Amino acid sequence: MTPLNPYATATAPLKADWQGGVSPFGVPWQKLMMWLFLVTDALLFAGFLGSYGFVRLANGGWPDRSHIFSLPFIGLMTFVLITSSATMASAVGAAHRRDLKLARRLVLLTAIGGLFFIGCQAREWTSLIMEGARLSSNPWGVPAFSGFFFMITGFHGTHVLIGIVVLLILFARLSSGRATEEGVELVGLYWHFVDLVWVFIFTCFYLL
Amino acid sequence: MTVMRYRSYWISWGALLALTLLMLATETAPVYRTVAVSLLLVAMLIKAGVIGAWFMHLKFERPALVWSVAGATLLTAAALFGLIVPDGISAFRHAAQ
Repeated sequence: MTPLNPYATATAPLKADWQGGVSPFGVPWQKLMMWLFLVTDALLFAGFLGSYGFVRLANGGWPDRSHIFSLPFIGLMTFVLITSSATMASAVGAAHRRDLKLARRLVLLTAIGGLFFIGCQAREWTSLIMEGARLSSNPWGVPAFSGFFFMITGFHGTHVLIGIVVLLILFARLSSGRATEEGVELVGLYWHFVDLVWVFIFTCFYLL
Repeated sequence: MTVMRYRSYWISWGALLALTLLMLATETAPVYRTVAVSLLLVAMLIKAGVIGAWFMHLKFERPALVWSVAGATLLTAAALFGLIVPDGISAFRHAAQ
């Protein structure tokens, strides 16, 4: 029988998802909450990069980053962070396969990658501070340049540091048999988010 | 949850690495600035897509979650940048006068 409403069959899956009694997103509440947190955090960084873009557009003489930063060094940092994201993704896969021993090793590798990244960031900050860069002034002409650099990379670095602490806690919980595969997945989401934000910072701040 | 093969993660890793090298090469390549900027932005979005789809598993999640998360974030960020860019350009023109 042809339905009176020609869109009835098309919207049936949507109705099934939203009519109540089921989770329309199809994920546990913990994962949904983690996603919502990541959305708010992403918009925080979007605000930072948006304001950076505005100030940079408004200032004609923005410093040439290739004269201030070593792009091969930044490339190495990016490579390490991407690799740590891959080891974390593999750890999540291992956890879902109930191979907690492998998951433990991969989580530790991820934390080591994060520590290497934060060490490189610290070296970069030290180098810039030694050259005279401060929050409100720098030797390269536009005072806002160093302020934005320290603020954006500082916020990202803090996220990486928090991620490392969480990874080490997860490693301890995996060692004592108290971690769950869902827990590993949640930590994995956070770590991939940290890598995702770096993709935008790396492009907008160091390359464009 | 769909369990991906380990190989898929490392193929994604290879793609991300290749895009990163391409972005770094764009900095030194003798191309017009407009072309370089376009290449960098496209590579950035592809990298973000690979991380979101494969590492964060959005490729295997329900559309409701994908739209709520990725769609909402991208739309809001696009609106933010779309509102800011004209302001920035007019501030630049005003400062240049």
